[in-house]
Amino acid sequence: MGLVVKNVNKSFGTKKVVDNISFEMKSPSIYGLLGTNGAGKTTTIRMILGIIKMGSGEITWNGKHVERKHVNFGYLPEERGVYPKTKIYEQIMYFARLKGMDKKKAEENLLYWAKKLEVEEYLQVTPEKLSKGNQQKIQFITAIIHEPELLVLDEPFSGLDPVNTELLKNVILELVRKGTYIIMSSHQMHSIEEFASDILILDKGKTVLQGNLKEIKETYPANKIMLSTVENADSIIADANLKIYSSKDNDYIINIKNEDEGYKLFNLLAQNNIRVEKFEIMKPSLHDIFIEKVGE
Amino acid sequence: MKDVWVVASYTIKDMLSKKSFLISTLIILIMIVVGFNIPNIIKAFESSDTEEATEENFSKVLVVDSENIYNGMLEKLNDMQLGYKFEIANSEIQYEEIKNKIEAGEIEEALVITKQNNTVKVEYILEDITMMNSIPEEYTIALSNLYTDAQLSKLGYTEAQLQDFKPMFEYELKQTGEQEVKGNVFVIMLLSLVLFYAIYFCAYQVSTSITTEKTSKIIETLVTSTKPRTIVLGKTLGIGIVGLVQVAVIITVAATCAYFCLPEGALESVLDLSQITPTLAIFTVIYFILGYATYALLYALTGSTVGKPEDVQTANGPVAIVAVIGFYLSYFTMMNPTSNLNVFASIFPFSSPFCMPFRIMMGIATTSQIAISIAVLVATILVIANVSIKIYSNAILNYGSKISFKDMINMYKNKDDRNS
Repeated sequence: MGLVVKNVNKSFGTKKVVDNISFEMKSPSIYGLLGTNGAGKTTTIRMILGIIKMGSGEITWNGKHVERKHVNFGYLPEERGVYPKTKIYEQIMYFARLKGMDKKKAEENLLYWAKKLEVEEYLQVTPEKLSKGNQQKIQFITAIIHEPELLVLDEPFSGLDPVNTELLKNVILELVRKGTYIIMSSHQMHSIEEFASDILILDKGKTVLQGNLKEIKETYPANKIMLSTVENADSIIADANLKIYSSKDNDYIINIKNEDEGYKLFNLLAQNNIRVEKFEIMKPSLHDIFIEKVGE
Repeated sequence: MKDVWVVASYTIKDMLSKKSFLISTLIILIMIVVGFNIPNIIKAFESSDTEEATEENFSKVLVVDSENIYNGMLEKLNDMQLGYKFEIANSEIQYEEIKNKIEAGEIEEALVITKQNNTVKVEYILEDITMMNSIPEEYTIALSNLYTDAQLSKLGYTEAQLQDFKPMFEYELKQTGEQEVKGNVFVIMLLSLVLFYAIYFCAYQVSTSITTEKTSKIIETLVTSTKPRTIVLGKTLGIGIVGLVQVAVIITVAATCAYFCLPEGALESVLDLSQITPTLAIFTVIYFILGYATYALLYALTGSTVGKPEDVQTANGPVAIVAVIGFYLSYFTMMNPTSNLNVFASIFPFSSPFCMPFRIMMGIATTSQIAISIAVLVATILVIANVSIKIYSNAILNYGSKISFKDMINMYKNKDDRNS
C-alpha cells in the first residue's frame, strides 16, 4: 500500500511545473526527492500533502486519494517558521490540537522528542530567544508531534551544526524504525546518499532519474580513485596518463574512465616501491550523478 | 468547526499575552477615567481658586468717564459679578497717569470712555496686548447695556419699566417633520466615531496577524495542519471575541465613570437615556460583529497578499479607503439624520455598522430599514468571505513580490488551485 504518486502533472498558468511524475513508497523508508531550485520539488510536496490540487494524475495513501482529512502527514518546510513571541510549549501544543491530538498524548510526545532533541529546557521560552538550530529542532518536533504516517522533510539539516545534525539523524532513523514513511528533499547529496534507498531527480518539472540508489550507482562505471601514499606519487600518476582531480599532502583523488585504469595505477605504484596507505576505486557519488543529470 | 475554535482560542490567548495590546487597552481606560473626571478636576481647581479669589484679589480696572456719559451708572459694574473690581473716575485722567498706575501695579487695566457726536469711544488700556485681538466681550456687553439703561433713566423710566424693556427670553426648538430625533446629534456622532475606531482597529488586527504568519513562514506548517478557510475564520473569530470583550470593558468603565463621576444631569443633557435600552445594546453588538466581520475578512484578503512586512500599509490601503468612505458617509449624513442619504448610509454595508445603531438610538430607524440593513450586511459578508478565503488560500504560500489586483482576480478564477 503506502504512497503512490502516479502520472502527476501541475501547471501554473501556462507554465508546467510538474510534468508526469510517478513514484511509490511501499514500506517505511526514506525517499530522496532531488532537484535544482525551481525544479518542482516544493510543488510536488505540496500536492502530496494536499495543500494544492493536482492538475492531473493520482496520489493515493494506503489506496485512498490524498485529502487532508484522510491523511496523517507531517511536514518540515524548507522555509523555517515559528511564532517568535509564543512560548514553545504553547505553539507545539497548538499544532498538536489542530492535528486532532488529545492534550495528554501531545504533552507526552512533546516531552519525549524535546528530550531526544535536547530542547526540553526551552519549552517555556519564546523562540526569538533561541538559536536558529534550536528553532529548527522546535519546528521538527511540530512536524512529528502527532505521529505522522508520512513525513516530508525539506532540507532538514541545513543550518545545523554537526552535533545537532547527528541528533536529528538518529531521530529520523528512529522514526523509520517505528514505521514512518519519509520523503526527504535536500541539496546536501551526502545526506540523501546516507539515508535514502530510493531517489527521484527532477529537472524543470520532469523526472530525469529515479530508482533504487544502489542499483543506479551500479549502472555507472567507476570514475575516481582515492589514494593515500607515503611518498609523493605525482610522477607515477602522470606516467599512468591519469588526471589528478585534487591532491593534498600525498592524498589524491584521481579521475579514471574505468576500473582497469585503477588496477594499472596500483601495479605501477607497486613497481615503483611507493608505499600505499589507502587505495579505493570509487563509483560516482550521488553528487556526481546529480551534476551529470541536471548540470547544464 | 472544532479546528476553527482551536485557531480562535489560540488567537485569543496570543492577543491577550501581547503587552502592546494590554498597554493600549489600559491607556484607553485611563483616558476614559480621566476624561469623565475632567469636570471634577476643573471644579477642584475652581473651588481652590474661589477660596483665594476674594474681592480683595479681583483684578482692578479703572473706568474713566470724565464726561459722565453713564450718568453715574458705571458703579453697577461691580454688581454684575464680572470678576473684576471696577474703580470709577468721573474726572479726566491723562494717559501717562494711567500708564504709571498700571506699571506700579495699582490697576491691571483701564477703560477710558468718551463721546464724540453719536459715537461712544472706549479705549482699553493694558500693559500688553499681544494676546488680545479685541476688547473682551464681557466689557462690551456690560458697557452697552449700562449705556442703554443710563439713556432710558434720563427719560424718567422706572426700574420696573426698564425690566420690561429687557425681559428674559426662553427659546425652544420645534420641527414640522414627523420624525423626532432623540438625543444630541453631535454626541451621537462622537459615539459613531468611537464605534468606527473599535471596528476598524479590531479588523486591522486580522491583517497584522495573517501577515505575521506569512512573513514568519509559519504558514507553511499551519496550512499542512488545517485548511486555509479554518485559519481565516478561526483568526477572525478569535480577534473578534477579544475586540468585543475589549469594547465591553471600555463601555462598562465609561458607563461606571459616567454614573459616578459626572455631575448630576450632565449625561441626560446630551443623551436621551431612555433610548439606551437592551434592544439598542443587542443591535449595537450585532452591528459591531457584522461590521467587524466585513472589514476583518477584507483585511484577511489583503494581509495574505503581502510578502514583506513593509508592504502591509500599501496592501491595506484600499480597505482603509473603503472604511473611511463608509465612516464619513455615516458621520456627515448624521448631521441631518432624517435625510434620505442617512437612510442610505444605514443600509450601505460599508457604512451601516457605524450608522444604524445610532439611528436606532435616535429612534428614527424603522423595523424594515433595520431588517434590510442586516440582510445586506450579511450578504456582503458571505460574498467577501467567499472571495477572501479563495484568494487567501492561493496567496498565502506566495512569497514573491506583492500580489497585484490582476493576480488576485486570476487567483479567484483558479479557485481549484488550492485546497481552501
